[in-house]
Amino acid sequence: MLSRQRLFWKGKPYDLPRSDEAFLRACRDNAAYHIRHCPGYAAICRHLNFSPDQLRTMEDLAKIPVIPTLFFKRKALFSMPQWRMAMKVTSSGTSGKFSQIGFDWGSILAEAPMVVRLGLYHRLASPVPAHCVILGYKPNKANHTGVTRTMFGLTHFSPPLSRTYALNMVDGAYVPDLDSIAKALKRLESSRFPTRVIGFPSYLWFGLQRMEELGLKVSLPKGSRIILAGGWKQHYAQEVDKGTLYALVEKVLGIPRENINELFGAVEHPVFYNVCQKHHFHIPIYGRVIIRDPDTLDPLPMGQVGLINLISPLMTATPTLSVMTDDLGYLTPGADCGCGIQSPYLTILGRVGMTDIQTCAAGAAELLGGDEGFGIEGGKTQ
Amino acid sequence: MIFANGKLLPDSERKKVLTGLEKAINATRMGPPLESETVIAAVDALGRRLAGGEFDALLARYLPAGATLAELLPMLRRETLEQKLRTELGGAPFAAQTHGRTAARVLPLGTLLHVAAGNMPGLPVYSALEGLLTGNVNLVKLPHGDKGLSLAAFSLLVEQEPRLAPYLCAFDLPSKEVVDIKLLASLADGIVTWGGDSAIQSLRAMAPAGCKLMEWGHRLGFAYVAGYEDVEGELSALARHIIGTNQRLCSSCQVIFLDSDNREEALSFCRIFLPYLEKAAEERPGPWAGAGASLSGHTALLERIVEGRTEGEVHFPGRGCSVTFRPHGELELSPMEGNVLVKLLPRRDLMGALRRQKGRLQTAGLLCAPEDREELTGLLARAGLTRITRAGSMSDTFPGEGHDGEYPLRRYVRIVDVEG
Repeated sequence: MLSRQRLFWKGKPYDLPRSDEAFLRACRDNAAYHIRHCPGYAAICRHLNFSPDQLRTMEDLAKIPVIPTLFFKRKALFSMPQWRMAMKVTSSGTSGKFSQIGFDWGSILAEAPMVVRLGLYHRLASPVPAHCVILGYKPNKANHTGVTRTMFGLTHFSPPLSRTYALNMVDGAYVPDLDSIAKALKRLESSRFPTRVIGFPSYLWFGLQRMEELGLKVSLPKGSRIILAGGWKQHYAQEVDKGTLYALVEKVLGIPRENINELFGAVEHPVFYNVCQKHHFHIPIYGRVIIRDPDTLDPLPMGQVGLINLISPLMTATPTLSVMTDDLGYLTPGADCGCGIQSPYLTILGRVGMTDIQTCAAGAAELLGGDEGFGIEGGKTQ
Repeated sequence: MIFANGKLLPDSERKKVLTGLEKAINATRMGPPLESETVIAAVDALGRRLAGGEFDALLARYLPAGATLAELLPMLRRETLEQKLRTELGGAPFAAQTHGRTAARVLPLGTLLHVAAGNMPGLPVYSALEGLLTGNVNLVKLPHGDKGLSLAAFSLLVEQEPRLAPYLCAFDLPSKEVVDIKLLASLADGIVTWGGDSAIQSLRAMAPAGCKLMEWGHRLGFAYVAGYEDVEGELSALARHIIGTNQRLCSSCQVIFLDSDNREEALSFCRIFLPYLEKAAEERPGPWAGAGASLSGHTALLERIVEGRTEGEVHFPGRGCSVTFRPHGELELSPMEGNVLVKLLPRRDLMGALRRQKGRLQTAGLLCAPEDREELTGLLARAGLTRITRAGSMSDTFPGEGHDGEYPLRRYVRIVDVEG
């Protein structure tokens, strides 16, 4: 699968036209690989009359069978035996429903240059050591969620001096402890080294509110950053607009908004989306996004709201070439942003309110035995 | 959160509450049983306050999308509750009947543990209310995803009538807290379970021997089409029912069975019915409301392909809905959200096909010529159905209706024979 490596090792991470040919080629090879190695995927392609040779132009990407993330929550599909995989990662999901996605060694080899290139581009990477405060899960043998892996990975963008977690395993369940995070931040204020706060935006919001309540205000050392990943998850109802959150960050932690990074990705589509200076998610060369009509799943033109279809030839262990999230969103031309990046940017409006509703009709409501502990929905590390 | 002794407590108090629970329940049960009049008066008064707009802010926060106060209020009226008691337990529900030397007294079963599913908001409250009406002490395990509606309702009820406080205890308890659930089960004389097979089986395993199990399991609804009185009216009503309930309720239509063995006829029905379904789907409230249907339908199709089960199937995708013809005549769960299945089931095969799903039967919406209605109704009833309705009213509630073929209140009481 050299075509994949060629794409992921390419320079200029936001020059889509320059990467189109390599992208198309890698998609063709990826589809052919999955058809050869995954009987389930081959059956889908046969049924929907798709073959890789139909991929001639970028418009043809819409022809690739699109598999909802909901599908991966119900069925695991693999294109290689488990012993050949580097690891298996699960999305975080409520009620015991989560996707199981295999990662092959080649995908890890391809992810590395992507993450380094984008990390440098978005000033995430720094040689100055930093303390890390993670508003997320402390890694644990029993936790295979992608978001835990992502957050742990993010602590390596600068040499990590220490790691403090908000969610620690106590008696087999994750327990949030925002008060000790507040104390840790106070302590780190007087450190010679900057602090990096990495985590779910919901926890940042709740934590900052708590600190404000307690009258705690810190001024973290120069160069400190906030890196947000994982979305609002089950706290959707409390979601606040970015401006309000950023203002509170500046007020309580003393970190200016240009030092706030936000990331988006999904276990089923582990492309490293970063916000630009104007806080928009531009599409990097490693993925493409199609917005589909919520009623018919047909592709929609730029600007219209629909279901978000993510395409990337990154993975060969699981056929996630073209996946559909249960999020609604829309695309805007890159030039409209004003940050200088020319590739279109994706705005996510929210989730289709279907999958987290338990149903009465047979078999759908699994009341007991599911993971209800700290269930967070979906496979995203938005 | 926990609701105990009329107060809302944080989850951290759980162990403490559980430790003292047995003693507290015993103390309550030492006294005279709770009278149904106390419950009826409290619920009726609360209903009036709700109707008066006193709790509008609270309702706006907790009432689920699509539910209206107008639907809720009639259920809280004195007349409704009294009628329920009379229908289910007879004219003088708690009066003793003398039989020569002995008298049969009606007493509450004792302590009920309610484990409610999360598919219908307010279900834990409804279940506990049935327990209260029959004078039981009620322990409620709230479903995951109960966003506070049940706890708010319990608080209001006890605020209205403080005497109910010792009879209501609710826990926001994750299902994996097996030890605590077992403890609650050990205190119960009866366990009321609402939910799927796995939920019911897990609770069976936790219930102590001798504990009465009252299981309201998941059911599958279907429509049976053997003709029409008014084709357009009935098909529109059926389509509106399918879209309106999103096929999420036990009574929702999953499959439309046709009284025929002709495949072409079935395909032609699919083509005719799809525009009705599309029209109903168009009227869904809110923008992009069809997304759930498309995702669910597409996912189900892919699953069938991967499982190699699409042989003979024909899929008719619509805008925000779909109709799928499947060649075998079994009752099964549809992909839901507005994706209905169509199958052939001539009436001569009806008994066999439905008996194979006997634990799943509940509601059938019957579409047929007037002269066939009685015969088909009888046949469906004998096959095991417990609700036979018109096309559009499959999920409506009717006064005096049973629940899965039973009157639940009868199961929440016991007869005590007393020799004078």
